Formats: sequence, structure tokens, C-alpha cells
Amino acid sequence: MRNKNERMQPGMAAFLMIIAALLVMQGNTPVYAESSPGLPAPTSDVESAFPAQKHFSPYAGRNFPTQVFWGDTHLHTGMSMDAGAFGARLKPEDAHRFARGEELTSSTGLRVKLSRPLDFLVVADHSDNMGFFPRLYEGDPKMLADPTGRRWYDMVQAGGQKGVAAAVEIIEAFSQGKFPEALASLPGSQAYRSAWEETIHAAEKYNEPGRYTAFIGYEWTSNTGGNNLHRVVVYRDGGEKASVTEPYTTLKPLGSDNPRDLWKWMNQYEEKTGGQVLAIPHNGNLSNGIMFPILDTFTGKSFDRAYAETRAKWEPLYEATQIKGDGEAHPFLSPNDEFADYETWDKGNLDLSVAKKNDMLQYEYARTALQTGLTLQRELGVNPYKFGMIGSTDSHTGLATAEEENFFGKHSGTEPGPERYKHPMAQTANGRYESYDMVGSGLAAVWARENTREAIFDAMMRKETYATTGPRMLVRFFGGWEFTADDARVRLPAYVGYGKGVPMGGDLSPAPKGKSAPTFLVGALKDPLSGNLDRIQIVKGWLDQGGKRQEKVYDVAWGDADKRKPGKDGKLPPVGSTVDVKEATWTNTIGDPELITVWQDPDFDPKQPAVYYARVIEIPTPRWTAYEAKRFGVTMPKEVPMTTQERAYTSPIWYTP
Amino acid sequence: MQQFVKKLIHEPLVHFLAIGAALFLLSGLFGGSTATQSGQNSYRIVVTPGQVEHLTAQFTRTWQRPPTETEVKGLIDEYVLDEISYREALALGLDRDDPTIRRRLRLKLETLNEDIAAAVPPSDEQLQEFLEKHPDSFRREPQVAFRQVFLNADRRGRKADEDARNLLTRLRAGGPDADLAGLGDPLMMLSNDIPLSPDWEIRRLFGKEFATNVLELAPGRWEGPIRSGYGLHLVLVREKTPGRLPELSEVRAEVEREWLFARKKEMQEAIHKRLLERYTVVVERPPDAGGKGSAVAATLPAAGAR
Repeated sequence: MRNKNERMQPGMAAFLMIIAALLVMQGNTPVYAESSPGLPAPTSDVESAFPAQKHFSPYAGRNFPTQVFWGDTHLHTGMSMDAGAFGARLKPEDAHRFARGEELTSSTGLRVKLSRPLDFLVVADHSDNMGFFPRLYEGDPKMLADPTGRRWYDMVQAGGQKGVAAAVEIIEAFSQGKFPEALASLPGSQAYRSAWEETIHAAEKYNEPGRYTAFIGYEWTSNTGGNNLHRVVVYRDGGEKASVTEPYTTLKPLGSDNPRDLWKWMNQYEEKTGGQVLAIPHNGNLSNGIMFPILDTFTGKSFDRAYAETRAKWEPLYEATQIKGDGEAHPFLSPNDEFADYETWDKGNLDLSVAKKNDMLQYEYARTALQTGLTLQRELGVNPYKFGMIGSTDSHTGLATAEEENFFGKHSGTEPGPERYKHPMAQTANGRYESYDMVGSGLAAVWARENTREAIFDAMMRKETYATTGPRMLVRFFGGWEFTADDARVRLPAYVGYGKGVPMGGDLSPAPKGKSAPTFLVGALKDPLSGNLDRIQIVKGWLDQGGKRQEKVYDVAWGDADKRKPGKDGKLPPVGSTVDVKEATWTNTIGDPELITVWQDPDFDPKQPAVYYARVIEIPTPRWTAYEAKRFGVTMPKEVPMTTQERAYTSPIWYTP
Repeated sequence: MQQFVKKLIHEPLVHFLAIGAALFLLSGLFGGSTATQSGQNSYRIVVTPGQVEHLTAQFTRTWQRPPTETEVKGLIDEYVLDEISYREALALGLDRDDPTIRRRLRLKLETLNEDIAAAVPPSDEQLQEFLEKHPDSFRREPQVAFRQVFLNADRRGRKADEDARNLLTRLRAGGPDADLAGLGDPLMMLSNDIPLSPDWEIRRLFGKEFATNVLELAPGRWEGPIRSGYGLHLVLVREKTPGRLPELSEVRAEVEREWLFARKKEMQEAIHKRLLERYTVVVERPPDAGGKGSAVAATLPAAGAR
């Protein structure tokens, strides 16, 4: 039997031997930078940045964040086990080149380029099974001591066709069992190590302070029972620190599926290296009620203060929108919000092994979680769900594409094509995810002073971020007690915003005497390439007298305001639509390019904790399916949505009595 | 995964392989093992001191402390089970026809090739040549500083162009330092005085078309209207610096990165070609797929004629 097997599969046997031998052959262990002990790096503090001195020029002396940087904090490449299986051939290096604006060829052979480069990117391949190939280290002494090794080394040094010949010879030697024993004598495999190093190398090579930020990162993919508890881990540091440790996995015995263990690992990393990391959870909608629970899912017991503190410390942000569904709000939880049912994915958990039940939803969506946080804060003294918002793609193609007319899908099996809408995005025995349900979303917007790892990371830590479903609208959101209508009429609202209040992600100070309710300065400027703005809303969550969660959505500024007034029910009429689905076009003849206003909470009670965030909604524009139908001349079934109203969600501002 | 296993259980091929494996196992147990220490299907697993060291080191790199004795035992147990499962799975042929494994191995092979390509650092001459051959990749971008007044074309409708012309006359009368207060329509979140910025920065803020048009303006005079995604703008360019090709010393790291990337690609293609030369590829298309059902000997384009 054994012999027969070998006869049947000589190629495979040889191939496996190559692999085995190469794994064993691993040369000298890479040299790690001596861990650099010391205090964590200081973070810049924006709130203290408003200059006391008055300057003649309004631009002098500004050191608050003046720019939005656009990025994707969650992109997979062929290095991720599942992405590779779906056919992704692009690697971290390609992902960075693409994000920087280069045109390249996708894994399915299509030419692809972003309309505008990204400012930053986190290549976040799954830490489990990141295993990868060892390197032939240049000048490895063990290799040089061997005559064959020496010859290969020289050939490689010579480069050109000699290098090619060396590669082929090496492969051949393995397959024929002629690989020099001296080179194959090292025990253990460094496969994992090399994968991590490749990720780090790619980030180091393309990181260019001031121009493009390549973050080091990975995804920790806890998925027990098909319930999604995934987190992306982002490093503030460069390779010197990041390579000191290896990513945390979920596979036992080294890893764990419990987020508490991930936080422990993060703590160890920081203590050891003096570096800094944060974690961003995503897809609560596929967690079946365990992303934002009120009881510890792993023990069934109540949370304690330590849990709340730890979670709030390590997880300042939540990825509220991405290809596998929008996670801001759910129509069941927010029945009065006509915009809540946006690109909703609520069939079940990630692998569809357990169907969704309504009572799970309250523990899955960002809006409700923010309110649950207020409840837990009362109980525990600390709010574990005090998070800001970002969006990202979670694409598995190596291509961070969140624009509707340039959408390359979830994985390489769902790249553009006339048949794409027909194929399931994924299918399990329990059901399927339709390709046409994929969401052309999302993008991470970060207010920072400069485009560097440090500045953007620090902005993430202070939650001065917002999520969009793809477009690049500029959004400012400030809370304070003293904003007046005039503040919405000055140039550069940021100046007065930072001067009189706190930005998105901040906490309202206690109410000064004589102030009855908080005021908010909110403004949005359209993406020059996308739709006009329909409206800005402020979403308020609070605990009522009985301690029950409450929420309300206020329309605070809207386009075509001269013609459009709220009806008797207080609801603003829809903005209308200019979309020509057949041609996949629209016009910006409705809505406004810019909206800005000051709003005061009309229902404020100083005894009740509250959380406020802004939601900016565009006029209807063609959804990616409309572009696809037009480009390939196909007619999609009726149930496929063809228009969308893209939007932004800001990080909240909290009020604590 | 469970579903996959369930499906697998019903596969006749799996039955066949399982029976085969069982027979093989029996012959191994009772037939006197001829397995050698290094053989793939050996029943002897030796965990060498080197492997224990490696497991320990891996743990230490994750947790930043050495494992306890219990943890070491756990690591070894897992390693042994991994090894056994690996061998048994190979014996069952579970690796075959598995797209995940095939992709993975291809990725690994290609990475090895890339590493060979990257092993030798380029010389200055090579980089200089590369820089000269690809000037557009390294050109320092032109920069521009300008003032702008915005007009909401949508709101003003048909009057927009006329309004823009009138405003332009006023601005020209006011000169480069014209007071902009109260002029045009509000666009508060965008500055009306843009400091010296590279072209990509302007593209980011105003869109590509606008950036291209502004970069073509001569400094010192109000011009327009120029259209952006927001509406119309009247623009005064304060200052411009042209783009230029930098010296190698300014951009060495960048050139080296690009050179290496290009080299890896070349190398990869060359290796694919060389490997393909060793194979005869026969493509048998199904009758209706354009191949008329006949077996066609073919080489992939990259392999060339042979």
C-alpha cells in the first residue's frame, strides 16, 4: 500500500519532501532586536493643544488635527489561509503598493487601481496558520560550508539567469532527495516566524512618514462555534518592536479564543517592548449575541470592573461597517429609524450554523452597544463599550476597494465579472451568502496632524475617527456647552470647535452653571467624487429614569433646506433620487455639498448618562451592483438592491453625570 | 469544518482510503515494522532536543516568558498529535485535491524564489540605470499654493457662470491680496488659502481635474471658474514649484525597493518558465468548451515553444 501510494503520487511525494526539507533547512534564526525596555512612548494630547496666544493669521499656531487621513485597517492578502484558498495571490507587498495608488493585476487577472490612494493601511492577515516559508539567508555560514551550498550561493549572487538556475536546481535537489545533508540538519520549523517577518518587512518597506503609513498588524480570529469575535490588532511600532513577539493565535496550546487572553498578550507585548498596540473588533452582526454582551460569554457570570477597564483600554474602536454587513443599527432595535436597515446581514452567525434570533441583536450592533455601555458603567464604574467608530473592508483580495464603481469584493472568487452576482459569496450546508449582498464598504477616517504611524495610532486611541461606507466626506463633530448658531458660520469650524468643546471621541465636561443642555457643532463636506449630502443626524442614546436604554435620531441639518421641511410627524421627507440605474449615473442636483449647524439637545436631563454621535447621509447613488450590471450588460434579479445612500458614522461624545 | 467532515464520511473514495489506511496500519503493527526513522509513514516519533527548544522558543516569543514544565509538556503533546495527524492525513491522501493546500504550497514555493531574487543587493550603477529608465516613478511632484473663492453652481443654477465672471472681475480689481470676506458661497470646511502642497494633496482635497487645471495656471492673477466636485472656484495661484527628477542619493531607498520588486517579478516569471519546460502539458477540453473534445498538447504561453 505504501509503495503503491508512492508510485501513484511521485510528484506529490517529491513536493512534500521539498517542503519538509526546506522547513528543516531553516538557516540561522533571525536576529531579534534586543527588546527595548522603557516607558511606553508618549502620546500627543490634542485637547491641550489649543493655543493661548492670539495670532493674526488664523492658520498660525494651530496644532489640533487639521487633516483627515483615509485608510483601511483590515485587509487580508494571500498570506491568510482562507484568502489563499479563495485564490488570492497578492501578498502584503502588493497590498501596500496598491493602497499607495499603483495599478496592478488582481488575482483573477484584472487590471485594478484606486481612484485615490489611501493614506494608511493595516495588512491584517489571520494569525492562525500564518505559517510560511523559511528564507535562504544570505551568507548563512552553514550553507557556505557545504560545497553545493557555496555554489548555489555564488549562483544566486551572480543573479540573472544564474539565479534562476540556482532556484530550479535547489528545487530539483529536494525533489530527488539530493539536498546536502549539512544544509538540512536544523531541527524545528521557523515557518510561522517567516510569515510574520514577511508582513513586517512589507510594512517597513512601504511606510513613508508624511506620505503613507503602513501599519504592522494581524487579525486574531476567534470563531468558536461559528460565532464571530474577531479582532484586528494594530501596532504603533515599527518592525524592531513588532518582531520581538509573534502574533497571538486562537489555536491551543499557544493561543486562545477568549478575548481576555488576547488582552493579556497585548499587555505582555507592551510591557516587554515598551511598544503600543490596540485591538479593533468587527462583525458583531455575525457573533450571534456575544460581541457586546452584558454577561461574560465564557463564564456566564457578570462582568467585573477589571473586565470593563481592560476592554476599554485595549479596544478604543469598533469596525462599524464592512463588506460582511453594516453594523451601526438594526431595524428591529431601532424601529423608528428609517435608515437603520442599511446593508443588514442578519441570517445567523459567521458560518450560518446557528440562525439569528431577535434577542441576539441587542448584543451585536454599535448603537445599542453604546447604550449597553452606559448601563454597565453604572454597574461597574467603568464603561467597557466606550468605543469610537471606523469602517474597513475586511477584503481578502489584497485590494482595499470600498468604492461602489471599483468594488473587487470579499475574496478573489468574487472579483468583478458578468457572473459574479449569481455565485454565492460563501456557502455552507446551512445556507449561503449571496455575492450581490456584499457591501461596498468601508473606510476608516482619522483626524490627525500628520500621516505617521504615531499620529494616526494616537488619534485612534483618542477615538478621533469616523467610519464611512466608502466615500470620503469630511465630518467634524464637537460637543460643548457654549456653541452658538454663529459658530456654524465661521470659516474653519475646527478652530472654534476645539476652542469651545471636545472633538468626536471625547467626553463632555460637567455642565457649567447656567447651562441647561449640551450643544454640538457638526459639519460635513461632501466627497468631491461622490454624492451630495442628504442630511446630518445626531443619534442620542441614554438611560431613562428607570435606567432603561433609550435612543432617538434627530435630523439637525439637511440639503435643499429652502424647499424641504419636516412634516407634521417631525420626519424630514426623503431627499428624492436622481439615480439612473440602467446607466449607473446620478446628478448632484439634489442635496447640498456642505452642511453645518449647531444643535442643542432639546430633551436633556443632567441626571441621565448619554452618548451622542453624528450620522451623515448622502443622496442616493448607484450601488456597486448597478455599475456591474451596466458594465457587463446583465440584468440582475429584482431582489438585488441597485441604489445606496452612503453614510458616515462619527465616534461618539459621552456625557456622564 | 464539521460539515466538511460529514460530507467526507459519505465519499466512497474516503472509505477506500480509510480501509487502505487500516490495512496499512495493521501490516505495520503486526507485519514487523520496516519504517525508518526518517520515513514519512514511520510509527516512531522522535522529539529531538532541537524541537523542544524550538517549541519553547516559540512560546517564549509569544508570551515573553519561558513556558512552565506543564506548558512544555502541553506543547510537546500538541506537537506529537500534530505530527501523527499530519502523517496519517498524508497516508489517507487528504492533502490531494485540496485547493487550500495546493495554493499554500504554491505560495511557499514562490516565496522561496522571491527570497533568492532578493538575496543580492543592487549596486549604485544598477540603481542609477533603473532611476533613469523609470523617471516617472520617482519624479518629485510639482507643488502649488493658492487662494480660492467658491461658488455653489447647483444653487445658482444657470446664473452660476455669469456670477463667476462678475466675481472674477471684482477679484482681479482687488488683486492678489483681495479681501475674500463675504465673497462667494460658504464652503467652510475647506480653507480658502491653501499653503504650498504637492499635487496629490490637491487631488485629494479637490479632485483630479481641479488639481490639473490649477497646476496649469500662471501665478499672480485671479483665474477661473475652475470646476471641482463641490462646484465652481475662482483661483489665484500664489506660488508654484515644478516637479523634477531627484538625484539617486535623495531616493536611494525608494529606487532600491522598486528595483527589487521588478527583479522579483522577472525572476518569478523566469522560474515559472524554466519549470514549465520540464513538463508536457496536455489539456483535454470537454466537447462543448471550444476544444472539440480532442486532446490537445499544449504549453502555457509562458513556457514558450518546446
